Amino acid sequence: MSVILNEVRRATYLDSIVLMRISRQIAALPGIEEAGLIIGTPANKEILRDAGILGPEGATAEPGDLILALRASDARAGQAALAAATQLLDQPSALGTTAAVESSRTIRAAVQRLPAANLALISVPGDFAVAEARKAMEFGLHVMIFSDNVPIEDEAALKREARERRLFVMGPDCGTAIVAGGPLGFANVVPRGDIGIIGASGTGIQEVSCLIARAGRGISHAIGTGGRDLKAEVGAVTTLMAIDALEADDRTKHVVLISKPPAASVARSVLDRVAKSSKPFTICFLGATDFALPANARSAATLKAAADSVLGASAASPVKPPVRRLDGGRLVRGLFAGGTLCSEAQIVFRQAGLPVMSNVPVPGASAMAGVHDGHVMIDLGDDEFTRGRPHPMFEPGVRDAPLAEALADPSVGLVLLDVVLGYGGHLDPAGHLAAFLAGRERRAVIVASVTGTDADPQPRDAQVRTLVEAGVVVADSNAGAAEAAIAALGVS
Amino acid sequence: MTRDAVVPVLRSGVLAQEFCRSVARANVEAVFERCFYLRGGDEFICVGGADIGDGPLTLIGNLGRLSDFQLQPGWPAAVCERHIVIGKSMRLTLDETESWHSPAWPICLSPAGLTDTCAALARRAAFEAPEEGLARHGVGVPETSGHHPPLARIARPRIAVFERWLSGVLDAGHARLQDSKEAAEALIGLGPGLTPSGDDFLVGALALLDAIGERHAHAALARAITDALPGLTAPLSACLLRAAAAGQVGEALHRAVSSVITGDVDAAAAAAGQIGHSSGWDMMAGVMTALGIAVAARLETPPTAAQALALS
Repeated sequence: MSVILNEVRRATYLDSIVLMRISRQIAALPGIEEAGLIIGTPANKEILRDAGILGPEGATAEPGDLILALRASDARAGQAALAAATQLLDQPSALGTTAAVESSRTIRAAVQRLPAANLALISVPGDFAVAEARKAMEFGLHVMIFSDNVPIEDEAALKREARERRLFVMGPDCGTAIVAGGPLGFANVVPRGDIGIIGASGTGIQEVSCLIARAGRGISHAIGTGGRDLKAEVGAVTTLMAIDALEADDRTKHVVLISKPPAASVARSVLDRVAKSSKPFTICFLGATDFALPANARSAATLKAAADSVLGASAASPVKPPVRRLDGGRLVRGLFAGGTLCSEAQIVFRQAGLPVMSNVPVPGASAMAGVHDGHVMIDLGDDEFTRGRPHPMFEPGVRDAPLAEALADPSVGLVLLDVVLGYGGHLDPAGHLAAFLAGRERRAVIVASVTGTDADPQPRDAQVRTLVEAGVVVADSNAGAAEAAIAALGVS
Repeated sequence: MTRDAVVPVLRSGVLAQEFCRSVARANVEAVFERCFYLRGGDEFICVGGADIGDGPLTLIGNLGRLSDFQLQPGWPAAVCERHIVIGKSMRLTLDETESWHSPAWPICLSPAGLTDTCAALARRAAFEAPEEGLARHGVGVPETSGHHPPLARIARPRIAVFERWLSGVLDAGHARLQDSKEAAEALIGLGPGLTPSGDDFLVGALALLDAIGERHAHAALARAITDALPGLTAPLSACLLRAAAAGQVGEALHRAVSSVITGDVDAAAAAAGQIGHSSGWDMMAGVMTALGIAVAARLETPPTAAQALALS
């Protein structure tokens, strides 16, 4: 049961930037669902009341006071957060605010400050992303565009211009890349090695790179292309440039290409380019295996199969995690933070001949209807869930309500989850899940995968341990979790 | 620790001078990395090095590294026109202090030119302004990402109240006191930060109205703010709002507003970025909002003689 805690500090003056940093830090602590740190004016108390986190103590604050207000999953998490906040408020210098990270408000200023930079990461509203990318390109910078909502015709034009300048445009909607060992966006800490990845999917790159890393191998570069690069309108501009780059890179010995099934004409041009390469390729057009491949390429229908292919062995433990056969509810509900992980689970179900529904259906799956009367895989990072709310990759609380609904549904016998670690993600997603599940009645079995490595900011081994202690069955891969679910259904 | 260091004050804002004339005893209220605040009654002054910029409530001196003085909130300060003695740590001398006044506003662009400036500023705000404040989500370009922070959600209807009020004042040439008070009260004390975003918004709007010669609207807003202030915002922020209501704003905001009304969007954005974490852009939200309404009003009606002077 959630608790609301408030603390009032009388006549406290702190820099705005310090207040903001403390506020963010508290909000990211395990079990904290919402937090605010603002002065106690009547208008601000209304903001806290509107957010449902104003308690009796906060209501007494005066305009010169500082209110810390939070909602926690339980009293223990709340008290821990209050203690952490007290420490930060008493010693704001611990935040490093006196040596604030240097920031620039324009690309020009950033280039002046860091003239050796050769890449700009653009994360602005979609309407402005292309203009900012062009500015960066004028300074000779490669570009990674994190923003979405960029019109596809603008993406195509921008990529053609970049190609003429011999510059990369990764994105739009590119969440993950690893360039020469440097993680960009949502990426994991993986060793450098001889496997190159080209991916139109952020979580796809994360899952494959982590499976490779956990098998003891490393990544030379992982180049994100944006989800629409292989659409006919864009024509795989970035994918083809990435193949050229990895072809020229001596360190790269094997290339994995990950994408949703592309348009036939685009697939042809990509595979024609692959055929001219001197290096072996693994092509993972998720769920599609009916493309005619050149001799130097192998096909993989899933992310795990792609990792297995490049490693020449099973990337994850072939032993399925022990999941008891379902004796009550017979339906599986998947609740995913990663869109590609949601797709992969659907593919595994389709390969097993099981019908499946989704809000982002893969070929062969059905569009989700209002009533969940079959196996359902939901991408919680899709626009319908994230409009006006944070993405579940950095705010795991987004999954709480659908998870509570699934656990309360007697027809659901098994819940499939993904936990995605790495830079940019929540600091303790397993801890959040464990706190949510603590003391909650549940009939359904919960099976999760954990995408990450032990070197991540949230070490994978500790996250797995937290989940296991919370009674969650943890599989070695996302596909392995889906296979375990299928085994629990008694389907061979 | 530096004991009883003598620090000559080089420049003093006009309201800081008034503080030294009228306040005898004060306290160190807040200490930051580059400046500190003294409080006497409801009034504050800011003391810092030249890098903090001049302002009406500011004393500028060669302080060196402020942490060397080990100032602590609560320390007493004895104040007179000649010097300020703070605990046993610092003696600020005012004998050779120059007075700082904000310069006159420049002549502003035509309404058509200001329209273009408004639009360009709104586009800049949408990606340069900090996520936490009003300029990115509260005003200007409609949000496209679907992300509406709680502050923006609450602020938008309140800004709409302010817009309706200002539009009415500029159209009718007069304001009902109650309407003015409601427009100001809706924003005072709203939002995060040492000076809440809503206060910064109003400071920006006041500066803009002053700069473009909308004296009646400025006076109405200034009076409404002064009447409404008690109990609605933090004492320090209230002091800055009272200064703006008296037509006194700091150097950086003056530069930002001057750049806006002369069409130099780059300079305006740069100046806004130099004020606090989000305060500069929150002020710019008020500037943009007031400017948009004033321009619309001027395009609809021929300017008065007084306005024509400001528009020439």
